[in-house]
Amino acid sequence: MILDVHGIEMSYGALKVLHGISLGVEPSETFAIIGPNGAGKTTLFKVLTGEAMPTAGTIRYKGQDITRLPAHQRARRGFGRTFQVARVFNELDLRTNVVVAVESRLRYSGGSLGRWWRWRPTAAVRAEAEEILERFGFARRRWQDEASYLSHGDRKRLEFCVALATRPEILMLDEPTAGMSPSDRREMTQLLLRLKAETGITILMTEHDMDIIFELADRLMVLNFGEVLAMGAPQAVRDDATVRRVYLGQGHHPGHRHA
Amino acid sequence: MTTLYLYAVFNGVVLGMAIFLVAAGLTLAFGIMKIFNFAHGAFFMIGAYIAHAVTGQEASSLPLFLGAALVAALAVGGIGILTDLAIFRRLGNVPHEYTLMAAFGIMLFCTGAARIAFGQSVHAIYPPEAIGGFSNVGFLVSHYGLFIIASGVVVFLVLEIGLNRIWFGKMIFAVARDPWMADVIGLRVQRLKLASVAISFALAGLAGGILVANQSLSLDLGHSYLLLAFCAVIVGGLGSIKGAFIASLIFGLAESLNSVVLPTMPGIGSYALLIVLVLIRPQGIYPELSQ
Amino acid sequence: MNRIAQIALLLLLAAFLFAPFLVNPGLVFIAGFALIQIVFALSWNLLFSYAGLISFGHAAFFGVGAYISAVVLRDGHGIHFVLVILICAVAGAVAALLVALVVLRRASGVQFAVLTLALSQLIVVLIGYSSLLGHDEGIAAIPRPVMEFGLFTLDLNRPLTNYYFVLAICLLAVGLMWLLVKGHMGRAMQAVRIDAERAAFIGIDVWRVRVVAFTISGAFAAVAGALLAPWGQIVTPDYVNWLQSAQPLFAALLGGAGFFWGPVVGVLGLSGINYLTRTFAGLSEVLVGASLILVVLLAPQGVLGAVRQFARRRGGGNPGGRP
Repeated sequence: MILDVHGIEMSYGALKVLHGISLGVEPSETFAIIGPNGAGKTTLFKVLTGEAMPTAGTIRYKGQDITRLPAHQRARRGFGRTFQVARVFNELDLRTNVVVAVESRLRYSGGSLGRWWRWRPTAAVRAEAEEILERFGFARRRWQDEASYLSHGDRKRLEFCVALATRPEILMLDEPTAGMSPSDRREMTQLLLRLKAETGITILMTEHDMDIIFELADRLMVLNFGEVLAMGAPQAVRDDATVRRVYLGQGHHPGHRHA
Repeated sequence: MTTLYLYAVFNGVVLGMAIFLVAAGLTLAFGIMKIFNFAHGAFFMIGAYIAHAVTGQEASSLPLFLGAALVAALAVGGIGILTDLAIFRRLGNVPHEYTLMAAFGIMLFCTGAARIAFGQSVHAIYPPEAIGGFSNVGFLVSHYGLFIIASGVVVFLVLEIGLNRIWFGKMIFAVARDPWMADVIGLRVQRLKLASVAISFALAGLAGGILVANQSLSLDLGHSYLLLAFCAVIVGGLGSIKGAFIASLIFGLAESLNSVVLPTMPGIGSYALLIVLVLIRPQGIYPELSQ
Repeated sequence: MNRIAQIALLLLLAAFLFAPFLVNPGLVFIAGFALIQIVFALSWNLLFSYAGLISFGHAAFFGVGAYISAVVLRDGHGIHFVLVILICAVAGAVAALLVALVVLRRASGVQFAVLTLALSQLIVVLIGYSSLLGHDEGIAAIPRPVMEFGLFTLDLNRPLTNYYFVLAICLLAVGLMWLLVKGHMGRAMQAVRIDAERAAFIGIDVWRVRVVAFTISGAFAAVAGALLAPWGQIVTPDYVNWLQSAQPLFAALLGGAGFFWGPVVGVLGLSGINYLTRTFAGLSEVLVGASLILVVLLAPQGVLGAVRQFARRRGGGNPGGRP
């Protein structure tokens, strides 16, 4: 198990939001967390990424306890993260966005950042950044564009470039297709499938779109009111009576389904 | 020996209340306008000068003295409204760093203008006879000091009760907490904001009017109180009146005891205290309204 | 940087290089002060535009450099002046580090600003205690050093030598800051300023970046201060007060804080104001204060920002990268 979460409890003051959540994620698996708004998905996600500290419970990553570790330490150990509303470095151009991430990785892993008097990124850093940008479909002529001018879908793709530049082993995706048009959503799904196939990266994501989940997730967990309602393979969860009753609704609805 | 310490404690309380008079308007301004008004000291100074202009070197009676302070409060409140309309309002969309710098600019501007208008001269000011005396309770207690303490407590009570109990204050509080919601439930946000601005600046002017007799009237008048008031606001928790009250007392006592315990190094006590308190509790004593 | 900007910069450099042959000694004196202010302002902007922190008490670090330099020169310890500058840089760095450790512990924007102000006042207070440092009067009649370099000697009592020495050190300082800012450290600092959380999630230790930026900024401010002692030959607590702390702030805003060369433009403007108002007490404060307000209200991007906007409109505009 690459990520072992046990008994996570979280309270905001007197309000208890998470009541003892436990889950395990296997390497190279794609694990999805779903649930209605207010179920505690975001809170759980924040606890897992290091933005919030749980009031109880443990998180073990590759056997090591990371429960109290701040976000940047988790990133250095192999966590990558994207945000629901894509966050990139607006004032920097596309290439520099990725370069910053690559240089950060080199800095904490002891790699070379070039001689001190050379201010430009080294050829190796530049090449790596450019390769990532190309892989995600950004044409060369756009590399010097300022990130603030990107469309919504492009920002999400750029954020992936930035997140993957640190070569994470586990990617935390916060609603990766939120607010996307159907074509962008298809593209994102393809991108993620390709990523899984090529790198074997572990993915932990929250999502609302059931179609995406069925295409991508190996296992999923249903949260409701801060508790685990069901956990397992998508088909099994979908057929689970409790889940159907509480959450997905009775009966079989053809076509696109929203959670 | 104990009388020396008692005297120091008394002075500390007086100083603490003086600091609070300055800090109150400052923390209110932050709580409501979310602006840390660096220029607060300048308005304090303007208040002092106005009060002095009304009473002359020594106020002939206590009512006149108080009246002058009120005049100062009103005048500075008015100036504050103008400043808000001309400057702070326009800075709504600008990142907050720029607002800080604009306030800093206002402070420079006012200090410079005062220097031009009043020159470098220093005037000695005396409190009115009614409170100019001293009593001996084992050590000398100045009546003026008692007056300052009383003023501080009165201001504190008025603000605490006013903001928390009385309808007008509660509206201001609501506007400060959530302007959008306040608007939704029909409160006249703009007017209330203006009223709050006026009150917070008026407090600066009032402080100037009351404290003017504590020191000689000069341009650096504001500086010594001002910095301590800044510290008190930070330590007390931005936006909290109670916090400012307690913190002001702490700093006043620190300064005063410092001059008894370490007479060769005046002033260091409050800085040491500031550093320690910020390290222990960076969000302030009552962090309710801080961002 | 485009052609026009490069040419402008070269012209400015030429102006400083040939100043002693172009203008009267009085203005050369001002030019030297301007160079020192440029280094000071750039050190401040390093912190503001690259790490996103506003220091309202930066004059404290400037003062550390100025006072150490003054004391060493006055008491005639015979230490090589270049070494003195390095000592001042280290002292500035240490002071800034200490302040950073206190202030960057979870303190937010406003608290940070006020704390830097308070701590710089603390330094003023500490200086005031010290008879070594001349209490409130400061240190006057600072002798100018003579430096042996083996093959040649630099006697700063000779005006030309003094000026070119200051120019050389300032160019070196500016160059180093430029390298820092354009290099990977600068990129990391910018990332922290633009989106600290995002930066954290790519493994950047935000706190550490801020502390390092603060320390470096303090070092360069102290270097500027160190040059002041032999140049102006007088160092007083006035060099450490609020108005002094406002100078780099204003210079950066006026010139355009978002540009590396912005503070340079701002210093030139500021030097002009200070020179023109030097005889009228209080007027410089009024003008600086008023201009600060106007700049914030009307042109927060500063002169260079306005120039860029103008150029964009004329050139049809394209989403270019950072300058």
